[in-house]
Amino acid sequence: MNIVLIFLISIFSISLFFYGKSKTKTISIKDNIKLNALPKFYGYYLVLWCSIPALVFLLVWSLFEPTIIKSIIIETAANQGAVFNDKNEANLIYEKIKAIHLGTYFGDIDSILKESALAYAKFINLFTNSKVVLIFGIIIASVVYSLKKIRNNNKARDDVEVILKGLLFVSSLIAILTTLGIIFSLLFESIKFFSVINIFDYLFGTNWSPQRAFVRDASSITAAEYEELKDAFGFIPLIAGTSFIAFIAMLVAVPVGLFSGIYMAEYASTKVRRVSKPIIEILAGIPTVVYGFFAALTVGPFFRQVGENLGLTVSSESALAAGLIMGIMIIPYVSSLSDDVINSVPQSLRDGSYAVGATKSETIKQVVIPAALPGIIGSVLLAVSRAIGETMIVVMAAGLAANLTINPLESTTTITTQIVMILVGDQEFDSPKTQSAFALGLTLFIATLVLNYIAQRAVKKYREKYD
Amino acid sequence: MSNIKIKSKNLDVFYGDKQALFDVNLDLNEKEVTALIGPSGCGKSTFIRCINRMNDVIDICKVTGNIEMDGMDINDKSLDVVALREKVGMVFQKPNPFPKSIYDNISYGPKIHGKGETKSELDEIVENSLRKSALWEEVKDRLDEPGTSLSGGQQQRLCIARAISVNPEVILMDEPCSALDPIATAKIEELIDELKKTYTIVIVTHSMAQAVRVSQKTGFFHLGKLIEVGKTEKIFKNPDNKMTQDYITGRFG
Repeated sequence: MNIVLIFLISIFSISLFFYGKSKTKTISIKDNIKLNALPKFYGYYLVLWCSIPALVFLLVWSLFEPTIIKSIIIETAANQGAVFNDKNEANLIYEKIKAIHLGTYFGDIDSILKESALAYAKFINLFTNSKVVLIFGIIIASVVYSLKKIRNNNKARDDVEVILKGLLFVSSLIAILTTLGIIFSLLFESIKFFSVINIFDYLFGTNWSPQRAFVRDASSITAAEYEELKDAFGFIPLIAGTSFIAFIAMLVAVPVGLFSGIYMAEYASTKVRRVSKPIIEILAGIPTVVYGFFAALTVGPFFRQVGENLGLTVSSESALAAGLIMGIMIIPYVSSLSDDVINSVPQSLRDGSYAVGATKSETIKQVVIPAALPGIIGSVLLAVSRAIGETMIVVMAAGLAANLTINPLESTTTITTQIVMILVGDQEFDSPKTQSAFALGLTLFIATLVLNYIAQRAVKKYREKYD
Repeated sequence: MSNIKIKSKNLDVFYGDKQALFDVNLDLNEKEVTALIGPSGCGKSTFIRCINRMNDVIDICKVTGNIEMDGMDINDKSLDVVALREKVGMVFQKPNPFPKSIYDNISYGPKIHGKGETKSELDEIVENSLRKSALWEEVKDRLDEPGTSLSGGQQQRLCIARAISVNPEVILMDEPCSALDPIATAKIEELIDELKKTYTIVIVTHSMAQAVRVSQKTGFFHLGKLIEVGKTEKIFKNPDNKMTQDYITGRFG
């Protein structure tokens, strides 16, 4: 129904556009007056007036209709003698009524349910009909109003500009509000978690084993139980594992990425550049899950094999394998960003260096790289924040046990892996185990936020230098 | 009559398919200032960039013909470009100090060429170069500050000091004052007068007055051809060529 309505509104708006355009043209010719705006602006004016009020009304209606119908139906059922003790039972009856109406209910249907289902059908009908009538009413009213405005040769251009500005504002508002919503949901769940587990026990604990809190109601944990839980949520092993794997990744990504960036920017001929730059960027387009199983199935076992031959014990889910593959994944970010940064170092600096007799590599090492350094640091920090937030590779290749270790051949775990592990499967949403995922998410969010902020400051500072 | 330092014979330069210089024959005298004038895009800069082979940096640029310095063929494939650029310094249109300290800007060249083994030798080179470029008094107390913190005119003198620091024989100047105000320009011109005692100088300029003030010899380029060359006095008072006459009196260009 809604789709049909939207379709009708659009058709109607489009035809009004052409109507408004030609109408104003004829008016201006017939009465020989100078229009306040181009004819097409009058067209836009009609389109906006015809569509926006109706669409907004439709949106609001659709948001509230289900709740209103539900409360009416539950009341009707109660009046007919349905018995329910709490909200959940009421919801259940409502769902039954809905299912009967749709013909998908296969249990026994008593007279109360039957009557209610009939009432439900009646209300649905009533609501739909009134919705259609109201929408057409709104369209007619707004079109009549806007047509009248047009006849008076209003300043359609200004009005259209104002409305468009409003539309753009609403769009950005949606983006911002969604982000805020996510942050607040993280924050509130984390607060619930920290009301059970002391924040210091979380931040400085060295043992992570959240399964100990499995199916335990957060609201009724006794002091004795808390003693046991206290060291189940230690954040240290996770941040250590995350940083360790990110560190290994950066060991791979920074030199390789930076050198390939330098090659691309300074040495590669246009022909080579045209071919190789897209190829490197393809690396960035490979889904991380592909890297993940490459790390888990190929690289991990290979390292274990090599380790065995050398007489070392290598876990098949080693930090080394995960970090290495993650580093390869990040190479294109570092290389493409540093390529851009190096390219924006002015040619005049290179000329100045060549002119005193410096060779190409001397120029790059002593003039170009120092000039580009803030930007390069920025690109590395962006890569670090990506490495910290990366999930799929570490879930598949880094292991689950939270070992506090600096041996790259052992398995470690990361923040993101633990979040996945906690939230996979059936959840008790009031258990501290589940809530700890939100606390981890919040911590991770703050860490990457800080890194991104520093990185962007560095990049910006660099830009100002040459303008 | 002074010695000829640099001699170009039948010099042609191409950028891809486009020919930028046609058969240029020009002699530059030792310890003298030669000014190159002409409308934009006429090949003046291209010509001086041939002298220190800066055109090598541009992939599509091809140079044919002959250009000699003290009898040595500059275009010779086996020539060491690093050694050539040590002898032929260059100052650019826009001041381009490195994003380093004033001291490091000057010591960069000597270090690259292995001059100034000890700190005190380097200090001496830096001081001498800055004195020669008349910048020492202004910056001696702040050698650690970045070169980019200086004013435009100071930056350009810093770039001249940088060129002098490797003790070259020739200094090429590509419109060195075009980004500067009249006072800074006057200082640079004074400096050029001083420098010509030691160095052979080639200066590209759009200002006739500047050419008259600083140079002993002037060459007029038009559309990639050297139209006329001679003593500055003669070129500006009594040129042989009608086109030169028109250009210096401001009828075109």
